[in-house]
Amino acid sequence: MVARLTARKAVRSGVLWGYIFGIFVASSALSYTTIYKTRVEREHLAAAFGSNKASSALFGPAPQLQTVAGFTVFKTSLTLMILGAVWALLTSTRLLRGEEDAGRWELLLSGQTTRRGAATQALAGLGAGVLTLWAITALVTVVTGLSSKVDIAPGPAIYFALALVSSAIMFMAVGVLTSQLAATRRQAASYAAVFLGVSYAIRLTADAGIGLHWLIWASPLGWVEQLQPLTAPQPLALLPIIVFSAGVALVGVHLAGVRDLGASTVPDRARGHPHLRLLFGPLGLAIRLIRTTVIGWWVAIAVTALLTGLVAKAAGGTISGSSVQQIFSRLGASGAGTDAFLGVSFLILAVLIAFVAAGQMTAARAEESEGRLDHILVRPISRSSWLGGRLLVATAVLAASGAVAGAFTWVGTATQHSDVSLTTLLGAGLNIVPPADCVLGIGALTIGV
Amino acid sequence: MEAAAIRTESLTKRYGNVAALDHLDLEVAQGEVVGYLGPNGAGKTTTIRLLLGLIHPTEGRGEIFGLDCQHRSVEAHRRLAFVAGEASLWPSLTGAETLHLLGRVQGRVDAAYRDELIVRFDLDPSKKIRAYSKGNRQKVILIAALMTRPDLLLLDEPTSGLDPLMEQAFRHSIKEARERGQTVFLSSHIMSEVEALCDRVGILRDGKLVEMGTLAEMRHLSALTVEVTFDGSVPDLSGVPGVSSVQAEGHFVRCHVRGSVQPLLKVLATAGVTELLSREPSLEELFLALYGGDGNSEARRNVAG
Repeated sequence: MVARLTARKAVRSGVLWGYIFGIFVASSALSYTTIYKTRVEREHLAAAFGSNKASSALFGPAPQLQTVAGFTVFKTSLTLMILGAVWALLTSTRLLRGEEDAGRWELLLSGQTTRRGAATQALAGLGAGVLTLWAITALVTVVTGLSSKVDIAPGPAIYFALALVSSAIMFMAVGVLTSQLAATRRQAASYAAVFLGVSYAIRLTADAGIGLHWLIWASPLGWVEQLQPLTAPQPLALLPIIVFSAGVALVGVHLAGVRDLGASTVPDRARGHPHLRLLFGPLGLAIRLIRTTVIGWWVAIAVTALLTGLVAKAAGGTISGSSVQQIFSRLGASGAGTDAFLGVSFLILAVLIAFVAAGQMTAARAEESEGRLDHILVRPISRSSWLGGRLLVATAVLAASGAVAGAFTWVGTATQHSDVSLTTLLGAGLNIVPPADCVLGIGALTIGV
Repeated sequence: MEAAAIRTESLTKRYGNVAALDHLDLEVAQGEVVGYLGPNGAGKTTTIRLLLGLIHPTEGRGEIFGLDCQHRSVEAHRRLAFVAGEASLWPSLTGAETLHLLGRVQGRVDAAYRDELIVRFDLDPSKKIRAYSKGNRQKVILIAALMTRPDLLLLDEPTSGLDPLMEQAFRHSIKEARERGQTVFLSSHIMSEVEALCDRVGILRDGKLVEMGTLAEMRHLSALTVEVTFDGSVPDLSGVPGVSSVQAEGHFVRCHVRGSVQPLLKVLATAGVTELLSREPSLEELFLALYGGDGNSEARRNVAG
């Protein structure tokens, strides 16, 4: 019963993300074949990026950039490794701790199952979700590989897909564990996210070329990297991945059996001294409620911007005068080298900021649908003034997000001695805010309707 | 003339073909404590949400202290406080933080009274909302409403989840409010609560107000229950004017009497009566009779009479 309920939700999500994974792989492989047509262009790319320390630290090593397979692995691995981990930790904490928070587990557990039994079944359901993610990613990858230009054999394509979803497997298990440790779903997701951040930082240090490469074995994301699909496959690295996933999941299921329903293994701070400063009205309340999430987004934007800035010069160098630059300029990024690369990178940051906007509106909508807004609206505050305040806070958050993007990109470029001014980058950062404002507007409109 | 605390004219809310509230005409004077009864889905919460201006009426209008519920809701809200039966609050805030916030939003708080209420309702305000039980969350919104000393208290099943001790504390607070001249509109399922607190009672059925009056008036309209034990044979009471629902069991008879009891007494005087008991129906009996809960359609007719 629990297995079926969990599997239904996890598989549905797995199908969607499987296609996203597959399409990303396919588009990376196919775009390489159209952008880097000649052998000279491919060698040029490999020479610029293959041994670039900054790029290796940020995105992982890039062997064999002169081949479609090598490029596709380089282009997709890090992104999908992180995306898969985030998807997995959000899905497992939602379907375990989230369901428990909502009181639905209480109903399930009053049936013919135990807490441990229910957790085991939920684990099976989550497993079905990851399996679906792998199956669909593999399917699209195999089909893409059949193209004569891409030319990746089915066996290696399936192994590549496994490497792409292996972080999802591990973080599914991590989510099961943190769901038992934390007192709320949000806390469970944060614990898992912190673990992901630490894993990434260890991997980054290992790949930075400062003589600490052995650290790669200390990070789950490092194990994924060691699978080296399509370039120099190392299936032995699957061993720590399997042992880790199984071990963490088992501990999670064990804890689910020994703790009380609704309780947490890590002591929860159920009381606190009142912090009244922000609680002066709906506006202050909005700031208080969103601040943790927003700070999280700012960190993510700052890290992305910093990484972009760090590689901008090297990346810009490889595209100067190449056909890539023409493609970039079609996307609206004018100028040469570094400028063109930064121009395109800001489009990615713009997407992140649009996510912040969407999150703001979802949070505002949740206040209403979950009935908390009623407590404000039955007092002398109108719905329009509440929404106005909420939009004001969100607009300020977005403007600050743009500024963070610009400032941290500048920090990155400055360390590489790229000749781009802070004001230019701050301007570029603020320039990507209006699309997010537009998302905000559409969100406000749907709340209004 | 002083404006009524609540006044509605033909207030109607339809969802498609279903009338959640059907042409409600209601008037609650200032200082009155009015009970509002009805089974689930009768339209009690719809009435209150319309009065609060949270939903738009399909037809008709409502006023709070002469202020239109739709167009001047913010002004009306300054003078009222609302308690819902389901307390969905911000899980990460503590009780004290929630009370502070809601007080600031309302714009006025009697701080001394708030502290008194916290003690009276035995609330630990340092706990986070997510750590509270349902009853404790309910206490938070009750205190938040009472502490502002509003002119009108709109209460929608306010005591759901409270234990009997806290129910007493609640009744005490409502009596206090009445003594201070505050108006109370209490929607409830707990008949004894309404019976103990309210000057007048309205009964809602399928979106229509089918009864409105003081308990005495409603009892007057309804049948008296008479139970008689005889020492010998039981006389035939079925033909006596005003008497209905005669149930005889050995020497014992139970019946309902509507209107004057004189004809029944005349018959009883000639028989050997060892015990005579008569009582007015409780609000619960009135309510059940109205809804046919006891299966006695005659009683229902008597009440609705």
